[in-house]
Amino acid sequence: MRTDGYAPIEDYALIGDGRTAALVSRDGSIDWMCLPNLDSQSVFAAILDSDRGGRFELHPSIPFQSSRRYLPHTNVLETIFHTDRGSVRTVDAMTLPGRSLAPMRELVRVVDGLSGSVPMQCRFEPRFAYGAAAPRREMRGHIPVASYRAEAIALVAWEAGGPAWRGDAVEASFEVRQGERSHLAMITASGEPLVIPGKTAVDARLSETIAFWQAWTSARDYDGPWMEMVLRSALVLKLLILAQSGAAVAAPTTSLPEEVGGQRNWDYRFCWIRDAFFMISALLELGCYEEARSLFWWFLQATALTAPELHVLYRLDGGIAPREREVALAGYRGSRPVRLGNAAAEQTQLDVYGDMMEAASRYSDGHHAVDADTGAVFAQIADHVCDIWRLPDDGIWEVRNGPFHFTHSKVMCWVTLDRAVKLAERGEMPSRDVPRWKEEAGAIRRFVEEQCWSAKKNSYTRTSGTEEVDASLLMLSHVDFVDPRGPQMRGTIDAVVRELSHGDFVYRYLARDGLPGREGCFLNCSFWLVAALARAGRLDEANDLMARLAARSNDVGLYSEEVDPSSGAFLGNFPQALVHLALIDAACAIRDASRP
Amino acid sequence: MTLGSQLAGGFIGTLVWTTIVNTASARGHTRMDVPFLLGTVFTDNRRKARAVGYALHFVAGLFFVFPYAMVFTVVGYSSWWLGTLLGVLHAVFVGTILVNVLLPAVHPLMGTPETAANEIALIEPPGFLMLNYGRNTFLVLLAAHMAYGAIVGWVVR
Repeated sequence: MRTDGYAPIEDYALIGDGRTAALVSRDGSIDWMCLPNLDSQSVFAAILDSDRGGRFELHPSIPFQSSRRYLPHTNVLETIFHTDRGSVRTVDAMTLPGRSLAPMRELVRVVDGLSGSVPMQCRFEPRFAYGAAAPRREMRGHIPVASYRAEAIALVAWEAGGPAWRGDAVEASFEVRQGERSHLAMITASGEPLVIPGKTAVDARLSETIAFWQAWTSARDYDGPWMEMVLRSALVLKLLILAQSGAAVAAPTTSLPEEVGGQRNWDYRFCWIRDAFFMISALLELGCYEEARSLFWWFLQATALTAPELHVLYRLDGGIAPREREVALAGYRGSRPVRLGNAAAEQTQLDVYGDMMEAASRYSDGHHAVDADTGAVFAQIADHVCDIWRLPDDGIWEVRNGPFHFTHSKVMCWVTLDRAVKLAERGEMPSRDVPRWKEEAGAIRRFVEEQCWSAKKNSYTRTSGTEEVDASLLMLSHVDFVDPRGPQMRGTIDAVVRELSHGDFVYRYLARDGLPGREGCFLNCSFWLVAALARAGRLDEANDLMARLAARSNDVGLYSEEVDPSSGAFLGNFPQALVHLALIDAACAIRDASRP
Repeated sequence: MTLGSQLAGGFIGTLVWTTIVNTASARGHTRMDVPFLLGTVFTDNRRKARAVGYALHFVAGLFFVFPYAMVFTVVGYSSWWLGTLLGVLHAVFVGTILVNVLLPAVHPLMGTPETAANEIALIEPPGFLMLNYGRNTFLVLLAAHMAYGAIVGWVVR
């Protein structure tokens, strides 16, 4: 049910092709899509501005109810619309290019009549440049085309009522009877002529796309509990990777709000160094060795300009993220501003060094040796961390009232040096500075144990010298800083549950962070809690929480960044890589803890 | 124009070109690494790729001198400034077509705008004017090619 034209975030499913992605709502409207790539300007942004954003609707023209799923082990979405006059099935997919000439990007919508005779309507409203640019609208023969600068979009249809421009939208109405099939294909070009496909070619690419996703999923070698959730998460993550560079966005959207009507609206279409650690770990767990190598190479290329200093996030093409700015969209249910760019890029977050080094360590453990040139760069990074770990920073949660001495950041600095020593001892990094790395790692450990521990709460603390706890502390056992089953970690888990949990969910922290408004519970924190419980040997608690979280996904197995703990409504950008990465890690932790 | 002067111009020009680009890279102005890009056509081992790439790059530098010499022959004149002018054209050609379009088309590890989820790229494409490798990349490319052209124009007689 839409509110003021906006569907609940949990009503969306994601389709994509490794270049861009689209959000499809339960009522058949594609309300978000950027072209040509994940981080390009939007062409459909109704999710951020119901009036001006642009959308691609396809649904019965009479009242309907819908149910949907992904075709098994694919990123191809199937929606069944039930009406009083019969039922139809739509299949939505972004097709993958094959050997024959294909459009630059192709979004296919196929309608099959299942029973009766169902009247359908299509409304296609492309809007370029986040709704700011009026496209040139014309008909090329019987094909409606919208173009703006070097971008062009066309809607090709077969047995779908002859779409034509009516005002600023393409519209079509048609009837689908049992056994009949209609096709609509949105094709796009960027800086090249449009390639107009035939129906046979569209059908063939759709079949090949389904076959590719099923083959890719069957090649995953995860063998553990919560298999379907893990595989769905793997499929989501694959859509968040820009295939041409190997980089992954944190989420394919911008400015879906952390509080409806609030200002905590951020652009996540960048690659965070932090996600490297989680992503490479997950890819290796899933047997995606080539994707892991591609991402690792991308990190080496992206950080080459700035190493040994690392930025928090980079553009997908490896460039430095642009300054944050606002665009004139109304925002999801009035949640303004809608932001492009991300000011976190200018922050100091010391944990990224540990994330990078842990990624390298796991990559190396995964049978990809770190070569000598790369090892030399990592040695510089380790030296740099020796110089800077005593500085305060803005931390993993990117607070805007810092800097502080965050415990998690200090621990990740320890991770940097600990892994550097191990890589050097394996001969994959220069070893000349190993004594210094060991000495500084010891100093960090002493700082954390003496300054960041609360005897009163029997827990590590969020920052040095305070009594607050923070969900990021759940990661301390994951990175082997503390014994996962030891009293310190058990006490920290209990403190996080006692102070930050709300039902199945966990707040990041309760302290002020320099931003107005409230936020929901970050779902990745809940999965971190599952993993920490499993590693602590509290397997029953971990499995119970995992089961409850499984029930909190939307109907097609996706999670947003946050959830409103009282209503269960999704909040924040969607779907979010970190949540699905945390889910995979939690499942792996349960699997490992279950082994005799 | 003697073959010896052409080869000498190409060799010295490539030496200076490489020095300029490596210096700019070391100072954080660009991530462009032409030997790496060329060498990874043949191997995914980074160190070997650079060794192969440097060899290929020097050979290419020697060959690129011939179009310069052809222009000098046609106009019946060579000088450092004419070489510099040709260097500008050379840089634009490299940034817009040679490395931007042709290299991704033949490079087995490099992504292109068409690369989709059913393929895996290890090296990001350079983009128009190679700007994916840093905002100052084309300026570095331009300076290096102008220096190459100036040396070729000065040496080739």
